[in-house]
Amino acid sequence: MTEFKYVITDELGIHARPAGMLVKEAKKFASTIKLATAAKTVDAKGIMGVMSLGAKKGDEVTVKADGADEADAAAALEAFFKANL
Amino acid sequence: MFDFFKKKQPKANGSIIGAPIEGEAVPSSEISDPTFGEEMLGKGMAIKPTVGKVYAPVDGTVAMVFDTKHAITITSNEGAEILIHVGLDTVSLKGEPFTAHVAADQKVKKGDLLLEFDMDAIRAAGLDTISPVIICNSDDYKEVKRFTGKQVKPGDDIMELEK
Repeated sequence: MTEFKYVITDELGIHARPAGMLVKEAKKFASTIKLATAAKTVDAKGIMGVMSLGAKKGDEVTVKADGADEADAAAALEAFFKANL
Repeated sequence: MFDFFKKKQPKANGSIIGAPIEGEAVPSSEISDPTFGEEMLGKGMAIKPTVGKVYAPVDGTVAMVFDTKHAITITSNEGAEILIHVGLDTVSLKGEPFTAHVAADQKVKKGDLLLEFDMDAIRAAGLDTISPVIICNSDDYKEVKRFTGKQVKPGDDIMELEK
């Protein structure tokens, strides 16, 4: 398993558009990818789940990728978070 | 009894989504925002509202209400995951023109009032009130039929999902 933590800096947090972009990115990989805040863990490939995290500015999100392409998945998602959130 | 004829009877493996907002039902292609116009969050359509009220499109459970109250997600009793997003870029209004009448995990019946929004305030902020209605798990369905190009009242059929 490969994981990283990221603190949201975007003013609006993970709302509908970034949730959609994040899921699209996560779906490029075969690995199981989980997204967690202090309150909740969700599947990064499901729009409803990602939106339901309600992650806001200042929240720490932990991303865990598990599978054959987990290193690539974690790297791509970390880049995504830094660029968009 | 006329209601009986007006409503489509869903097939055994299908489910009907009612209009959450009164207005004009239009295809996603009329939404200027690519997130919705290209159906990145799932298949759906949109309503151009004429009344600033959002009603439950199905019997189900509220999955979440965004803190900014501009969008709500509902899981129908049949498993459809529905996102109703009031206006475009309305997250930036930080909840101001919105009033939420429900909260996450609350059970709702089709037709229950979920949210109210001030259309004039949204327009005054320079934003579009067109409201996407999206099936987030549309990949789970063989077919998502959409009934657009007409005026709808809350509860009128706007989509039919077939497993």
